[in-house]
Amino acid sequence: MTRMSVPWRPGGKQVHRGPAALVAGIAKALYATFAPLVRAFPGPLLIGAIVAVIVGVWINYLVFEFVDDSLVASSTNLAGETGLLGGPLALGEVRAGLTTSGVPGSGILCYVLYPLQYGVVRDVVSMGGILGFISVIPLYTIWWERKVAGRIQSRTGPMRVGGWHGWSQSMADGIKLICKEDLCPASADRPLFKLAPYLAFVPAILAFFALPFGTYWVFRQVDVALVFILAMLGIEVIGVILAGWASNNKWSVYGAMREACQMVSYEIPMGMALLIPIMVVGSLSLTTVGDTQSEGWTSWIVFRSPFTFAAAVAYFVAALANCKRAPFDLPESESELVAGFHTEYSGFRWSLFFFGEYAAMFVVSGLCVILFLGAWYSPLPMSLADRWGLGDSVGARAIKGLLFAGPLWFVAKCVFLLYVQIWIRWTLPRIRIDQVLYACIQVLLPLMMVLLLGHTLYELFVPVHGFVWTVFNLVLSLIGAVFVLGMIFIATYGFWNRVGLVGSLGVETLPGS
Amino acid sequence: MGTTVLQSGSDVLTDVEGSEQGDLRTEEMLVNMGPQHPATHGVLRVVLRTDGEMVLESVPHIGYLHRCAEKIGENLQPFQYIPYTDRMDYLAGMNNNQAFSIAIEKLVGIEVPLRAQFIRVIFAELNRIASHLVAFGTYGLDMGAFTPFLYAFREREMILDLFESTCGARLTYSYITIGGVHDDLPDRFLEVLDEFLDYFEPKIDEYNQLLSFNHIFVKRTANVGVISADDAVRWALTGPVLRASGVNWDLRKSTPYEIYDRFDFDIPIGLPGGREGVPRSVVVGDSWNRHIVKVWEMRQSCRIIRQAMAQITDGPHIAAKVKNVKLPDDEVYVEIENPRGQLGFYVRGDGSSIPARVKVRGPSFCNISVLNHVGKGCLLADIPAIVGSIDIVMGECDR
Amino acid sequence: MTGRGRETMLHGKSLVVVGFVLAAWASSAIGQFPLAEEMSGQTVDAAHRADEQVLAPSPVPNATVESALFYLFGGALLVSAIGVCVCKSVVRMATWLFGALGAAAVLYFLMGATFLGAIQLIVYAGGTLILIIFGVMLTSKSPWVRFECRRIEFWAAGGVVGVLFCALITLLVGTDWPTPAVAPQPVTIAMFGEALLTTYLVPFEVASVLLLVVMIGAAYLARQERS
Repeated sequence: MTRMSVPWRPGGKQVHRGPAALVAGIAKALYATFAPLVRAFPGPLLIGAIVAVIVGVWINYLVFEFVDDSLVASSTNLAGETGLLGGPLALGEVRAGLTTSGVPGSGILCYVLYPLQYGVVRDVVSMGGILGFISVIPLYTIWWERKVAGRIQSRTGPMRVGGWHGWSQSMADGIKLICKEDLCPASADRPLFKLAPYLAFVPAILAFFALPFGTYWVFRQVDVALVFILAMLGIEVIGVILAGWASNNKWSVYGAMREACQMVSYEIPMGMALLIPIMVVGSLSLTTVGDTQSEGWTSWIVFRSPFTFAAAVAYFVAALANCKRAPFDLPESESELVAGFHTEYSGFRWSLFFFGEYAAMFVVSGLCVILFLGAWYSPLPMSLADRWGLGDSVGARAIKGLLFAGPLWFVAKCVFLLYVQIWIRWTLPRIRIDQVLYACIQVLLPLMMVLLLGHTLYELFVPVHGFVWTVFNLVLSLIGAVFVLGMIFIATYGFWNRVGLVGSLGVETLPGS
Repeated sequence: MGTTVLQSGSDVLTDVEGSEQGDLRTEEMLVNMGPQHPATHGVLRVVLRTDGEMVLESVPHIGYLHRCAEKIGENLQPFQYIPYTDRMDYLAGMNNNQAFSIAIEKLVGIEVPLRAQFIRVIFAELNRIASHLVAFGTYGLDMGAFTPFLYAFREREMILDLFESTCGARLTYSYITIGGVHDDLPDRFLEVLDEFLDYFEPKIDEYNQLLSFNHIFVKRTANVGVISADDAVRWALTGPVLRASGVNWDLRKSTPYEIYDRFDFDIPIGLPGGREGVPRSVVVGDSWNRHIVKVWEMRQSCRIIRQAMAQITDGPHIAAKVKNVKLPDDEVYVEIENPRGQLGFYVRGDGSSIPARVKVRGPSFCNISVLNHVGKGCLLADIPAIVGSIDIVMGECDR
Repeated sequence: MTGRGRETMLHGKSLVVVGFVLAAWASSAIGQFPLAEEMSGQTVDAAHRADEQVLAPSPVPNATVESALFYLFGGALLVSAIGVCVCKSVVRMATWLFGALGAAAVLYFLMGATFLGAIQLIVYAGGTLILIIFGVMLTSKSPWVRFECRRIEFWAAGGVVGVLFCALITLLVGTDWPTPAVAPQPVTIAMFGEALLTTYLVPFEVASVLLLVVMIGAAYLARQERS
């Protein structure tokens, strides 16, 4: 017989057991250790953390490369009879290879490097990186969204937790969510209710497995990466629909139905918009598509023709609808459907939906960046790097990574698109469901068909690097440059001429600032 | 089913049946919107009969905030009852105080000093602006735009600062009282008020740019929940809802109370699309007009306040003897123009100092009654659009 | 409200996520989901050496692990398929069906048919299945639609399925399956596209026209119903 429990009659003191106790303990210890430090030196710590991450990634990269070098060296020297890269080296061989290369401390280093020659070990390391990245992205996108929303609405957003501008607010929220009660409505379909959040979250992680951050920075180089990622974004919907259905709440069902309508419709124009760059490059592999845009600003696919330019905008609209971001946030629109499909969810399961949503936001931004906005290349052409005589040394590579190409550029562009999504959300009202479908089927879909056909003809009949092609390319590049520079100018102008908050909110010092 | 268990006892709840459309059988659903729902502005409960996203019937159920406000009035002296009127339409406390005060003054025959009347007009109009700002902001929220809400509240905070400097309260003022106002204006009040108006008037254009003329917002509200002028009169709608239907009726103009006949101001009414910058898809009496009439009214309120500031005279702020007055054996009914419509107080005295009967005619109560009439055949997302544009306050609806 | 909802948090929830991810990783690591070159102990972070060094053909994938994965996901497919049959709630059936489709997609990935696997996920799991659930939601009378079949229906269907099953088993056992000497090359997406537009152009176009007809027909039916 189950014990009656009502919220207003507190039961016994809730004891954290098992993993929960562990998590709570670790969180408490971390907070006790780091909170005073962070309060004392907020700025330097944040900058230091960013630098440490970049340096760490670089060291990781260099270590992998070094292992490969010594593998090749050893295999030619020692394992000469196979003459192949394949076949694991013994510990002694690694040490010998290191010694021949004249690396200090080879006796200890070989223990570190030895396991890294195995694909499995590297996969685990990379997967840890991806999982870490996916955990951090939502946390900081949410924090940033709250800060941006605050500024847009002439307030400050989170200011307290962590000291500097509430930078650890999301982590505090995460700890709270983990410790919350895990509710399941009595009349819900229990197995489906519990399964749904995973179906919404896991595909978003899997999409990262095929999403390249740089030419060699991808977990699995799949030749159908684009289709795979689109499939993962599509599967995410099943989780949302099941959540809405299994909650056994009418508002949730409404949210689920809207999500189904919206996703099934918007997948089509989204896919068609993505076909255009695919047509330009002739490959579904995202790495290949990205690498065709290495020659600077004008080589970005978005500026290639008027049709790609329009397709990029159309893709972004469809992607907003696909991520159920405002103004297409109908599945969870709180003024109509309370909270839509996640009305009945709480705690960790609820947060899984948000992890999924923000990860998906990053993925669609990433697709947009790779397929239209020059992938991981900077506006400077790579040929300039060769002209400068930047070789393969570590320093030269660092300069290349900062100025010309690298995951940093990719992440920066994605973050910019994330910002645009946030900006739109806090500016525009929400569209009605019939208008959402009208916009898709009557506007976006015919538009995409015209663009697809138009671009096919453009590729066929306008000779590449001919006069017309070049004029269009330059004009579009100019428009893009004016747009970006204008935004930078407005942002800078606004920042330097910022006024304090008005009215009774206009207090001089805010807590934590 | 789940959290939306419907209670029996209401006739609309019992008849659920599938509707045959062609050979595809879709299920009608009874959905309970409220009393705890973000879009129902408090504790309104609307029972929706829906077919998919289509709403076939929307019946408002009220009474979740009933606090016996009228009965309390029959057990207290009028000046003791003033704080209870604040709590009816809690977004327009000043106007509620004013309506009840005028009713008692008329019943007893108290002459209100001229300065007090000016102060009353200034505060009533300021409160009208504050109330419309809330309506504006929450309507944006209903439509999914979060930011206008914060902007509206930023400005409202300033008005509340002014109120606080005068009467010490920010929501339930009890400032306008029988025979005048409770306290005289503080020092420099009119200067600060002038600063505020200079700041505020240009902001109205900003709001229109951000929300009212936003393409998506117009799409969501234009031609939604259209109430014709005839219907509006038949359903006894008042206030912005009535004027949005094209009926030029405002008690401040048609039967001026206090000193409203001294001021020059316009009554904004709903306009058809295509004229004076109104979007093309708009029709008279739709949700967009109900929204924009409030925005235009804020501007007219600013005009009134400026004139009142110019004309205000010195003198006492309250009549000499107002407490413990004996109410004559007579009855009185006074209606004034509340931000939400005509707020009427019926008071009957029986010779004692406690009224024998107090009855309130609340504009929210009358206005929400039209919901089912206009909410038939619209989409689910239009229900918040209609409820929000009617702009109800449940405290006054349920009393 | 009973106390059922009051549970300890975390009950291995992270483990579920990690499990999902590990399964996906395992299939991608062992199968031919990555390009063949990627398998030779090269990971991405250092894969750029690939263009500079002449790489040897990939070593034979670990046959034991591969067959283990095959049996694992084949079993998952079987269990899910049975789940579809025995479940009485329609949405649960759809969920099982999702499992079956996903497991089939993983099998495709294991076979190196990456394009087919991805398309399977996008079309069946991401499209058709959603439409099924959507249809159920729109037309169901109560939230828990159940399929109850009469006894005669059960036996009739069982008979047909039994005959088909026996036929399949007979074929499976009776056929002499040839074992190829070399592992077949994975079909790249380019080869696939070329074949569609040259060898199989006519069937491809016929299928497209058929789909167009279906679409027009559906639109026609929908319009008629409205008027």
